[in-house]
Formats: sequence, structure tokens, C-alpha cells
Amino acid sequence: MALLRRALAAVAIAGIIAAVLRLRGSGGTPPQSGGRRELSGPGLR
Amino acid sequence: MRFLICGVGAVGARAARHLVADAETKAVLVDEPDRRRQAAVVSSLGERAEAVDEPDPSAVDVVVLASPPARHLAVAKRAVAAGRHVVSVADSVGAVEDLLDLHAEARERGVVVAVGAGFGPGLSCVLASHAAGQFDSVDEIHVAHHGTAGPACARQHHAALRGVGFDWRDHAWRRRPPGSGRELCFFPDPVGGSDCYRAALPDALLLVPAFPGVSRVTARLAATRRDRLTAGLPMLRRPHAEGRIGGLRVEVRGRRGLSRDTVVLGAVDRPAVAAGTAAAVTARWVAAGRTLTTGAAGLAALVEPLPFLQELARAGVRAAVFEGL
Repeated sequence: MALLRRALAAVAIAGIIAAVLRLRGSGGTPPQSGGRRELSGPGLR
Repeated sequence: MRFLICGVGAVGARAARHLVADAETKAVLVDEPDRRRQAAVVSSLGERAEAVDEPDPSAVDVVVLASPPARHLAVAKRAVAAGRHVVSVADSVGAVEDLLDLHAEARERGVVVAVGAGFGPGLSCVLASHAAGQFDSVDEIHVAHHGTAGPACARQHHAALRGVGFDWRDHAWRRRPPGSGRELCFFPDPVGGSDCYRAALPDALLLVPAFPGVSRVTARLAATRRDRLTAGLPMLRRPHAEGRIGGLRVEVRGRRGLSRDTVVLGAVDRPAVAAGTAAAVTARWVAAGRTLTTGAAGLAALVEPLPFLQELARAGVRAAVFEGL
């Protein structure tokens, strides 16, 4: 029983840490636009 | 204008074709040890092309060296001594160093020795120069190459993977072991991502003098596991007569006002086609006196990047910028 409680506590703590990192982490959303564009215009920019 | 092309392999034949198509070209002399190839190329170029048994730089205005790099120095020396311009597509560290050593004599005689005037180095140097124009000062330049042109270029690629690389870091040269510094570089489509490694590449030797104050310049070469595993052995099979599609990636970091920024330019083409076009455009510019200076230098120091890239674009060699940084 004690083993089960410890396991449940470990899972709960891991879940809380994961939730904090997921919500407060600095990874953010990867870029949804961009890519290669052929140089164009008089300045080839 | 009269041009002498030494070596009409995958790159030299393309350069000759571009030059002979120019209305201002009076003659293109073709020097090639393989007589059957020489005859085939001369007959395909038309009546303004002429085969020669021995390269004579004094008979022309510009000498274009597109033979294997080890043969460049001897002809370049004779050309400079005769007061003739030289355009070399050399892509080995040794050949580039030897040609850059001609700088003092070339300056004294008022001639240009354009070193590494192909795809990479060559177009890569012009892209670096073009990107640098967007900054107040340039801190770092990182170049990556993918693909090879003809058989000589493939052999050079193979040799480069077992040669010591030279990085410019903190205003000093650093020797780097070949195959180290793996970096996943993304080239324009359809090449895409490829692992690139340090190798014996001449890019930094050409870029550092063109960008005084730059603190880091590196060059990497795309290679597969098989390339790296067999780099120390002789080539296990004959290289392709014509390489597949290749790419360039040039990343320039610098300061713009108070902020630091990065510009990533790239190009994708058949390396032999792009190298031949770049060499021909360089030869025409050199003959017309359009270079920024005389002496021996890479394209970053010799040509104004914007009109050069515009001329390459008209010839079908186009560059791209990566957006989304």
C-alpha cells in the first residue's frame, strides 16, 4: 500500500512539474511562416 | 575580347559557352589535354572557338582556369608575367593560397587574378558580400556547400574531407580536424537539410581579407556517412561525369544600428552550371575593367555584389533569402 502511495505521489509531482514547464516554459510556438524566398526587386533583397 | 579557357570539363565547357555567346567576344581559345573532348567542345562552340595545343596567355585578354586546381599556378604565373588577367575556379586550399601569393606581382602589373570564381567559392563570396551590405559591421560569416560539379570537383570534395580545415576565430587562424563540427544546415529546396562538417575549404582564406574586422569565418561541407567513412581511402568508384543538384548556404551575422541581426542567403543549382556562369561573368567583368581593384583576391573583394548577382540572375543563376529568423 505504501509503495502504491509513493508511486501515485511521484506521478502527481511529475505531472505538476510537467504542467508548470508546459505553461510557463519559454519554448513557445514554432514559426508558422517564413522559408526561402528568391531574391527580387532592384536591390535583390 | 579574347579569352583562353584552360580545361573544358563540366565547368570550363559551360564558361566557354557563355563567353562565346557574348557579342563582344572575338575568340575563345580552348586548351584541354583530352584531345577528343577538346575537339568536341570546339566544334560545338562554333567558329569563334579555336583549339590550341599549348596555353599562350599573351595571345588573349583573359585566361580562365577551369582545369584541376594543381595546374592553375603555372599558367597563372605566365599570364601575370605577360600582363594578362586571370580567372580561376580553384577550390582547393593549396591552389587558392598559391594564387593569392601572386597578389603583389598582379598589383604591380595592374592585372586581376580572380581566385575561386566558381560556385563555392565564388558565388558564395558574392552572396556573403551582398548580405554584408545590409549591416553596419559584419561579425561572422558561415558558409556551407552541398554537392559537386564534374569529376575534378568530386575528387577535390573527397580530398577536402581528409584535409585540415581553417577557421577564422577571434581574429586568428585556427586549424580544425576534418569531419569535426557537425552542423545540420538547411539549403534551399530541393536540397533541404544536410549534415555539414569542417573540411579543407578555401572560403575563409578568400573572405577574411574582404571583410576587415570580421571575427569569425567558417566553412563546412555537406557529406554523407559513406563520404566520411571513406574519406581516407582512394575514391571507391569513378565520380559522376556531371554532379547532381548542389546548394550553398551563407549566413552573415552583424550589427545594424544598436541591434545584432542575421541574414541567411542561399542558392541551389547544378554546381557545374552555376560555376561556369560565375566564371564567365567574372571573366567578362575583368576584361571590361569592372572590378573594384587589381591584384589577387576572391570575388567578395573584386566585384560589386548587386550588379554581379543581377547579371547571374539574367543568366539563370538565382539566389534566395531565408525568412523567418
